[in-house]
Amino acid sequence: MGPPGGAPGKQPPKDGEKKDEPQKKKWEPPVPTRVGRRKKKGPSASSKLPPVYPTTRCRLRLLKMDRIKDYLLLEEEFIGNQERLKPETASQDKNEEDRTKVDDLRGSPMAVGTLEEIIDDDHAIVSTASGPEYYVSIMSFVDKDMLEPGCSVLLHNKTNAVIGVLADDADPMVTVMKLDKAPTESYADIGGLEQQIQEIKESVELPLTHPELYEEMGIKPPKGVILYGVPGTGKTLLAKAVANQTSATFLRIVGSELIQKYLGDGPKLVRELFRVAEDHAPSIVFIDEIDAIGTKRYDSTSGGEREIQRTMLELLNQLDGFDSRGDVKVIMATNRIESLDPALIRPGRIDRKIEFPLPDVKTKRHIFKLHTSRMSLSEDVELEEFVTTKDDLSGADIKAVCTEAGLLALRERRMRVTKADFTEAREKVLYRKNEGTPEGLYL
Amino acid sequence: MSAPTLPIQVPADDPKRKQDQKETDDKTKANGEVKEGEDLSDEDLQLKNELEMLIERLKEPNTELYRPALETLRTLIRTSTSSMTSVPKPLKFLHPHYPELQTLYETWSPTEDKSLFADILSVLAMTYSDTQPRGTLRYRLLSASLLPSSQHISEPGLWGHEYVRHLAAELGEEYRVRDLGEEEGEEAEPVKPTEGDEKDKEDGEQQEQKQKVDLEPVGTIDDLCALAMQCAKFLLHHNAEPDAVDLLEELEIVHKIVDLVDDNTYGRVCQYMIACVNLLAPPDDVAFLRTAHAIYAKHMKLPEAMTIAIRLGDQELVKEDFHAPRNPSMQRQLAFLLARAQVPKEWVFPEDSEEEISEDLLDCLSNTRLSQHFREFGKELGVSDPKSLEDIYKSHLENTKTTTANVDSARANLASTFVNAFVNAGFGNDKLMVEADEGNSWIYKNKDHGMMSAAASLGLSLLWDTDVGLSHVDKYTYSAEEHIKAGALLATGILNTGVRTEADAAMALLAEYVENKSVSLKTSAIIGLGLAYSGSQREDLQALLLPLIADESVSMEIASLAALSLGFVFVGSGNGEVSSTILQTLMEREPKQLDEKWARYMALGLALLYVGLQDATDAIIVALQAIEHEAISKQAQILVDMCAYAGTGNVLKVQTLLHHCDEHIVKKEKEEKKDEESSEETKEEQPQKDDTFQAFAVLGIALVAMGEEIGSEMSLRQLNHLMQYGEPIIRKCVPLALGLLSASNPQLPILDTLSKYSHDNDLQVALNAIFAMGLVGAGTNNARLAQMLRQLAGYYYKEPDCLFIVRISQGLVSMGKGTITINPFFHDRQIMSRTAVAGLLATLLAFTDAKSFVLDKYHWMLYFLTPAMYPRFLITLNEQLESIPVTVRVGQAVDVVGQAGKPRTISGFQTHSTPVRLGTTERAELATEEFIPFTNVLENFVILQKNPGWEKEDKMEL
Repeated sequence: MGPPGGAPGKQPPKDGEKKDEPQKKKWEPPVPTRVGRRKKKGPSASSKLPPVYPTTRCRLRLLKMDRIKDYLLLEEEFIGNQERLKPETASQDKNEEDRTKVDDLRGSPMAVGTLEEIIDDDHAIVSTASGPEYYVSIMSFVDKDMLEPGCSVLLHNKTNAVIGVLADDADPMVTVMKLDKAPTESYADIGGLEQQIQEIKESVELPLTHPELYEEMGIKPPKGVILYGVPGTGKTLLAKAVANQTSATFLRIVGSELIQKYLGDGPKLVRELFRVAEDHAPSIVFIDEIDAIGTKRYDSTSGGEREIQRTMLELLNQLDGFDSRGDVKVIMATNRIESLDPALIRPGRIDRKIEFPLPDVKTKRHIFKLHTSRMSLSEDVELEEFVTTKDDLSGADIKAVCTEAGLLALRERRMRVTKADFTEAREKVLYRKNEGTPEGLYL
Repeated sequence: MSAPTLPIQVPADDPKRKQDQKETDDKTKANGEVKEGEDLSDEDLQLKNELEMLIERLKEPNTELYRPALETLRTLIRTSTSSMTSVPKPLKFLHPHYPELQTLYETWSPTEDKSLFADILSVLAMTYSDTQPRGTLRYRLLSASLLPSSQHISEPGLWGHEYVRHLAAELGEEYRVRDLGEEEGEEAEPVKPTEGDEKDKEDGEQQEQKQKVDLEPVGTIDDLCALAMQCAKFLLHHNAEPDAVDLLEELEIVHKIVDLVDDNTYGRVCQYMIACVNLLAPPDDVAFLRTAHAIYAKHMKLPEAMTIAIRLGDQELVKEDFHAPRNPSMQRQLAFLLARAQVPKEWVFPEDSEEEISEDLLDCLSNTRLSQHFREFGKELGVSDPKSLEDIYKSHLENTKTTTANVDSARANLASTFVNAFVNAGFGNDKLMVEADEGNSWIYKNKDHGMMSAAASLGLSLLWDTDVGLSHVDKYTYSAEEHIKAGALLATGILNTGVRTEADAAMALLAEYVENKSVSLKTSAIIGLGLAYSGSQREDLQALLLPLIADESVSMEIASLAALSLGFVFVGSGNGEVSSTILQTLMEREPKQLDEKWARYMALGLALLYVGLQDATDAIIVALQAIEHEAISKQAQILVDMCAYAGTGNVLKVQTLLHHCDEHIVKKEKEEKKDEESSEETKEEQPQKDDTFQAFAVLGIALVAMGEEIGSEMSLRQLNHLMQYGEPIIRKCVPLALGLLSASNPQLPILDTLSKYSHDNDLQVALNAIFAMGLVGAGTNNARLAQMLRQLAGYYYKEPDCLFIVRISQGLVSMGKGTITINPFFHDRQIMSRTAVAGLLATLLAFTDAKSFVLDKYHWMLYFLTPAMYPRFLITLNEQLESIPVTVRVGQAVDVVGQAGKPRTISGFQTHSTPVRLGTTERAELATEEFIPFTNVLENFVILQKNPGWEKEDKMEL
């Protein structure tokens, strides 16, 4: 099929692959058959700039960057000159005209189908949602570089000819995971955990902002970290603080979200997740409650179990598989690290395991201070007393105590929280906490 | 103390205020420390109080307490451990007191204590770098100046890495500002056409200068340099070689690094410096090379030193390095290197010297055994059997739809001649020519001028084989047919390319024909001589050929070819006599003659003399401007300019060349739209204004950019734009430029681009693109490329011209059956072979007007490629120069400059046993430590020495 609509004199919008043959020649050599079948990631090869090594900060790097800049300036200058010199009047109108022509040819409405197979330069097999597959022609104005089996294409409403390619976008589910609004929690809102903050900074933030430091040292920065510890010790809080602090793309997902209804959807989601992360690199992927999918593998007869395990296997592959992930850092959080599959947390996938212990006295004091800083306390409250008790209070528990104390005060319509409130609140919290495990029943 | 009253008065108020503050502090503390922005742990608090106490003490009048206080401060700062993510605690706490301390400092009288104080202030200034220009450096210098000469200030390294880095950065800035201040802004060098950018810079400088006025500069430039040396020393000891080099470079004392480096560091320093060379502005790059050379020479790394000497083209250094080793094997190794680079023997053994040269050494130096080794290499690889044409064409794979016989069988036969020659080059056993019987020779399948090329192909087939080759060729020199005879002469020249013999056969056989009446005999003799002695800089050739150029009665063709020939012989020598003669001719010849197509070769001959000489060409360019004939003047200027900067990656040159391409030389703009008729148009335009220079400019961009990776990648983009906007003359040269950029280095993006161009509307573009594909794949046996070419053969089966070139490209791709490269860079892509550049340029020039050269009867110009051809092998020899097999790993070269530790220099390697074939971007390393090579780069011939057990490596040097 030739250019549709019988416009042989007019060049269709640049299609980059084929050129019309010289008109004067009697004989026309056949058009080369080349259809772009590979998927290009990122900017196209022609506009990509050469990589600059070494990555350490040194003059050589500066010089190389300068060199690239110089060349780009030359380019700008040259194109500027050429555009200026070009006899520019008609071409814009012509472009406009061409566009309307193409729009006419496309018609409306357009159907959406899937490209099943490319037969030759101008023909392909497409399928539509309604069922049947068609052998149709590809219009010459379609960018053949973008065509690849499996992509969504626009089809003409009558002839079903391919008239356009739909940009293959990421799964909408993944875009939801992208964090648009940064959480308000910052590092300052974390009581204690200095060690942990430093570790996570070193392994997640610094590699994204100062990769050269690692290069200088001759090590590869860690790929990911896992945060573990008993409930309420601030794992998620720390992740939030990271999200608050960083300018990198922050993707967050909960392990259970990766469990999908249909077979194969879970692994696909994982793939999509990491693809989006890479497209938006530098990025940080935060997977909360990883034990939902990351438990140890075992022989299971249940299809659901197996699907979950496959999802984890995909995650394993994405973390340290054959393709290297660029600037994508992974943070996972769990409170049951012992139940996780050892393959998931082996070095190389997760290089740093950051434990979140129950707060020590100093930290407890700090946390109490953080939570009570906005409360009006009565004179008799001696926080020190609570701090030094030997209860196994986690950060969340402390928060609960403070809140509970406030609630108690509220109940009595007092403007101040008294010591009695705190004592009672503490009793309550501790009682609730131990509720689940009846003491000494099975021991 | 002599003036104790002074210091008391100023700080008199301060302690009180301090106390006030403390009181408030205490209050807030009582409030549960809520207001205190940062919660301090107990240790921190203690530290803070201690520091504050120390500062108090400094403010007190009691001078005796100063010293202990300062010393405690110092220890506190030094012993604090810092984390990557935060400022060291003492500095953090001292930070707010810095301005106070500054004023306090001014009130002290100069003593040793004050020096110590200055030292501490210098460290503190790190936290304040933005408020005051270069405080760290200032106080450092003050501190040094306050000390009595008997004492030395503590090493900067004691304060830690961050301090040294800071100091280094400020040193650079300070030097720049002072330098600028002296020259009063005269320095404003418009490196780049970025006005906005420069303005910013100037603004910044002005500001800095303004600020500087407030503070009188401390110390002299010498002090700065001394301090820089100290820092550099520290950096060198701590694996920060690049930083050290950068620092010294900024202070323009990079040559001093020679004394600083030791056995552990020199390698990395040199590597880094060499990597910088291509990116530096002219005076610096040579300085870097010379410094690196000095370091290598000092550490007896002679092959490396020699590499740089060759790169510099410095006769004295080459000679020095060559005679430095006492070990004969090392000297032979150097001789191999010199032979590869085609450095004339006279450089190391001047004719007047009476020194006895051992035969072995001479053999190495003149490449005598090249042919023998090459054939053995072929045998090892199993490619010594001759390949037939069908092996190359694989026409059964072509999808020719019709079975019509070839339109032009003479053309096809001619193409086959070249294919046969290129494919079997150097093996001397091809079926069509060498092995054929006298009567059956392929020569007789050609007509007229075709016979000349056919006979000359014998030379290529027997390349480097000076003994057997000559006897083969000899029989044709007696042929009655003039063309065959001419071809035989050319063959004689070709087979001597790159090899020097005692017998000097080429000179003996060819010299007499230079004066011959027959034009074809004459030209082939001239070109033969040029090829045979390319790079040799022989005086007798000058005497022989110069008269031909000078004589105005000689036709332009002969004069130009003689000029080209001399260009080959004296490539990169800047020979004044030759250049003045050519210049003279260009000035005196009739304009009509200079309009001839041959004139470009005259200009090229001139240009080749200046390959790699950079700014030594200023005079000649001025002279060229004076030439009345405008077209040739411009062409010659561009050619000389681009040759002079060949492979340097000089952006400014690229810019000027690009400017040359800006102009659209079409008389009416209307024509531009009718791209379809472009091929016809070129001819019509020529009489109006000559646009050939644009063609050269396009080639020039590639030539200048090719030496350096960033540049060559970026220039691809420029070429892309040229293709989009350029006139036909520019468009048709773009593929050639691409071919030059990555000769024998088939990278996918370039192949894709060329493949696209090879289907261009303009047949000229397509033709050149096809030839460029041949160049890009030359000697690689690249399967993808072969397939593309086969497809093109089907595509163009009705276009005899294109088909001819497709065939030749096919021949090029399997050149030497995949054992020969034409890439001008060798020795780990460090040295640019000038003769190879000359050969490539001469060939490409023929394609800037393919119709009147290669497609006409001058197809023998394809043999200009010969000087660029060289086997891409690695042969290991023992000390008796016998080939020995060792296992080596061959893999893609990795750029390891500036990386920490000892990273692998190759990736994705495979283990082979020598001799092996190396790709353009590949590198080899020995797999075992059984042998020690005499050179660092395993390429070409490498002499090995048995490793005597576990002894140190440096033992091999002497």
